[in-house]
Amino acid sequence: MDELVCIVCPRGCTLSAEREGDTIRVTGNGCKRGAEFARMELTAPKRTLCTTVRTTIPGVPVLPVKVSAEIPKEKIFPVMAAINAATVDRPVAMGGVVLENVLGLGVDVVAASALLDG
Amino acid sequence: MDMGKVNKKLSARFGGAVRAELRDGSVVLSGKLDRWADVVEACQLAAVKYSRVHVVNDITCAEAKAQPMRLPDLRDSVLEGARPDALIIGGGISGASIARELSKWKLDILLVDKEPDLALHASGRNDGEVHPGVDLGKGSLKHRYIRRGNAMYDEVCRELDVPFRRVGQYVCFDKGWLRPFIALYCLWRRYHDGISDTRIISGAELRRREPALSRDFKFAVSNPSSGCVCPYGLTIAYGENAVQNGAKVSLDTAVLSMEVEDGEIKSVATNRGTVYPALVINAAGVFAEEVARMAGDRFYSIHPRRGTNSILDKKAGASFSSIASVMEAARTRGRSKGGGILHTVHDNLLAGPDAVETWEKENTETHPESITHVFSKQQRTMPALSQGDIITYFTGVRAPTFEEDFIIEKGRKIHNLIHCAGIQSPGLTTAPAVALDIEKMAVEELRKRGRTVERNESFNPIRKGPPVLRDLPDGERAALIRENPDYGVIVCRCEEVSRGEILDALRSPICVPTVDGVKKRVRPGMGRCQGGFCSPLVAQIIAEFLDVPLEDVKKSSSQSDITFGRTK
Amino acid sequence: MRTYDVTVIGGGPAGLAAALSAHGEGAKTLLVEREARLGGILKQCIHDGFGLVRFQEKLTGPEYAQRFILRFQQAGISCAVQTFVTRAERAGEGFDVTLVNRDGVGTIRTKTLVLATGCRERTAKQVSIHGTRPAGVFTAGTAQHFTNLLGQLPTKKCVILGSGDIGLIMARRLTLEGAQVLGVYEAKPTPSGLTRNIHQCLHDYGIPLYLSHTVTRVLGAGRLTAVEVAQVDGSMRPIPGTEEVVECDGLILSVGLIPENELAQSLGVELDPKTKGPVCDGQLMTSVDGVFSCGNALHVNDLVDYVSESGELAGRNAARYAAAPRRTVPIRPSPALLYAVPQRLDLDRDNSETALYFRSREVLDGCVLRVRADGREVFSKRYPFLRPPEIERLNVDFSRFGLHEGSEIELDIEVTEHG
Repeated sequence: MDELVCIVCPRGCTLSAEREGDTIRVTGNGCKRGAEFARMELTAPKRTLCTTVRTTIPGVPVLPVKVSAEIPKEKIFPVMAAINAATVDRPVAMGGVVLENVLGLGVDVVAASALLDG
Repeated sequence: MDMGKVNKKLSARFGGAVRAELRDGSVVLSGKLDRWADVVEACQLAAVKYSRVHVVNDITCAEAKAQPMRLPDLRDSVLEGARPDALIIGGGISGASIARELSKWKLDILLVDKEPDLALHASGRNDGEVHPGVDLGKGSLKHRYIRRGNAMYDEVCRELDVPFRRVGQYVCFDKGWLRPFIALYCLWRRYHDGISDTRIISGAELRRREPALSRDFKFAVSNPSSGCVCPYGLTIAYGENAVQNGAKVSLDTAVLSMEVEDGEIKSVATNRGTVYPALVINAAGVFAEEVARMAGDRFYSIHPRRGTNSILDKKAGASFSSIASVMEAARTRGRSKGGGILHTVHDNLLAGPDAVETWEKENTETHPESITHVFSKQQRTMPALSQGDIITYFTGVRAPTFEEDFIIEKGRKIHNLIHCAGIQSPGLTTAPAVALDIEKMAVEELRKRGRTVERNESFNPIRKGPPVLRDLPDGERAALIRENPDYGVIVCRCEEVSRGEILDALRSPICVPTVDGVKKRVRPGMGRCQGGFCSPLVAQIIAEFLDVPLEDVKKSSSQSDITFGRTK
Repeated sequence: MRTYDVTVIGGGPAGLAAALSAHGEGAKTLLVEREARLGGILKQCIHDGFGLVRFQEKLTGPEYAQRFILRFQQAGISCAVQTFVTRAERAGEGFDVTLVNRDGVGTIRTKTLVLATGCRERTAKQVSIHGTRPAGVFTAGTAQHFTNLLGQLPTKKCVILGSGDIGLIMARRLTLEGAQVLGVYEAKPTPSGLTRNIHQCLHDYGIPLYLSHTVTRVLGAGRLTAVEVAQVDGSMRPIPGTEEVVECDGLILSVGLIPENELAQSLGVELDPKTKGPVCDGQLMTSVDGVFSCGNALHVNDLVDYVSESGELAGRNAARYAAAPRRTVPIRPSPALLYAVPQRLDLDRDNSETALYFRSREVLDGCVLRVRADGREVFSKRYPFLRPPEIERLNVDFSRFGLHEGSEIELDIEVTEHG
């Protein structure tokens, strides 16, 4: 049996997950999302990633960015490296794509701030 | 001086471990002791308070590991071959005030300090009290200068545009029966020290004036001539005025050695080149003994004594407006006046300092025991004093001799050297007066050497500091902002410092483009958040001003990197 | 002189929400912000997790702020950025507020004030850290400013003191940027931050958490070279002999936040020693008539959603404010609670949907919050667990409890055997 802390919301429920053959039984979750989190965590854990990207725009040394959807946990540092290799040299509005389909993960890196809006 | 007697005392206390001998007019102690406290005790046993016969400490101490003076990284030759009329070693209150007074003359003055700013040692690390002159033995130099120094403060601070307030000081007593004795003491003081304003006031009067002081106090000695000043602010102002009048200040400049011939200093080697001064003034604080040694004129020793002060929030500062301390029955021999509570010129409260003997001249670490000690004592003075109001604390190291008096005299063996050494409390108070005497000595000495010394006709005693916008009425503030809109952009929220004032600091006569340099001059980061909000902004303004990447901006010294460059 | 119905001081999440709701009530509103850009501290909180309660979405700080900034701009509310309040004082029925900015010094008159001034971080000296004064000691927020706004790396190898949320967030953030975080040291026996942050910021990155440990000393002359850490006893005093020197170039502090209420105090607003924020009623009016408080200036929140909620409440009530004598009853939390907000109720206002916030003093499992009015229990709620870092919020209809002048409301937490 695995004990996990749910990170879906600030409640931080303590979850117990037990494998029963192909299925995983989750207890301790306060909502459906908790059960889903536990199953993912035991099979293919995913995380979101928020960081910054370098820009050449005066007064804005870095622009906050995030991945458009969660990525496999083990891809966090490779994606960081890809973002750190990039440079933004023209305004990108909030939500605008900075890196498309980063590392072929099917996820974009998007601007997470309105610093370069308008 | 009877060396037999001294040696008898020493041998009774330390066996045969330490011996004293009279050499060149000084009492030289030699031998071997394990503990620094014993070294201090041995030297104090041999010393006569306020005597001009000084104790020189040559005792080897197992505990006191040799610590070389910290030196700047910088190596260049900008000073190479310079031939100043006067080389002042040390940019504390002594050196800076001497430089300013000497700049009244047409002289080539060079002040050097090994640190990246003025007032980074004792002069910037004390309580800023301008003392009234209590308890100083007649005949001592402290006594000779204190009244003169104290009286000069109004004018000097007006000329140098430095805030100074004569807030008065109270020495408080909780034992009513002492009152007749203290009354006699006040009378005697009037006669002996020529101080007529010292009064005894009742406990009720004390609390009327300062309601936050303890109800246990039965009476207090009131010294209305006491005041407070910003000690580093005054030092910097003196230095700036000297520079405006032609003196040169070279920071990050350490004296490494001297070449001496026939009782004369011929050259002084620094990390920025060798200089050939006509006259050297030793105002090197805790390192005055090292400078004297380099010159071959070491007739005294310094025993460092550290003290820690706490600065409290302005909210606490609002409860008390002067200076007070509780009179302790027992006092430790050889120690300066103990700690007190002081309302600073910036409206904070200051508590401290304590006094601890140490062999470490540059160790300004703070220790929790110092704070606890000061607060447990000063809570007797002001019961509401709370460690919870502390916003910062700092340690300074005083530079006393074993005679506990100043040394203000020409070299005993070296003719072109003047010592301004052993300066400790009340050295801030005496500095303006001492500087005038050293100015006279220096001019006299230079003339004796055939140098024509003429008045600097263009000398301007007025130094105008940057405007302090938070203190100005709205109309004047608005007028300044109209001239320079940067005065309307507040960068430090706690101390209400504008971008314009920060740029003023960077354009001041002694530019120290570091976060601490700006903080000392115009106060961003001095408030309750201690730079949490403004330090990145101040660093940015400095980077823009210098046109360098942000990571090149330092906190203080060249090693004090704030950041390590771009994250990406 | 320009006049306003409501002047909001502070353009972070609380102030933006307050200005929007005041404007929504038809009040002539002004928002004053010290910095050049609206958004307050959210500008540098680039991690996600904001807005779960309000928008059921995980937004980054700048994204969350932008939702309010857009609405604010569309509403055309008056706004003075890069403008600093130097003074606020009572003038007739309202207040005169003196503002300083690039245009000079000006005074506006306002009927009511909403203080949304946020909070500041506790510093090294306030938690008794001794030693030298080198570069490399940062509060977590300052390190965050350098990293996220200026793109500068404040440390390559650091120790974090305090397990507050910003400290945990910065542990992950610095690790992502290539710094080595040697450990998070927490003087308390339990973490100060949210459990999920312990997991997603520390456990995910293998960063150790040392509970009942503190940093006692800082070493280094120019830049920090090491810190001394030690175990602490039950009263959080270092245990002699447990000291250990950890080599590093940075010390990041996440040792608590203090509501900023200097302006409030200058107006004579009474502060609650427990929250360090103003004593407020259910409408978030302070002890000074016409002065309202919200967000982290009121009490330190752990969710921005609640910050916005309190801003809306304060802004709305400021807009509706009419001077009237007040009859209030106190809400007194028992020692089992760290604090509760609001601290009192105004009997002449609508108290049927009062948002009550509280924190427990200790980590408790299986307990009941009990509300008593004049000694009799009028409300209770069961909690499977309560943790001091996690604020609890509930709506209570106080109008049903027959409160009258002289009434007293008590809050207590009772631990039940089987929670």
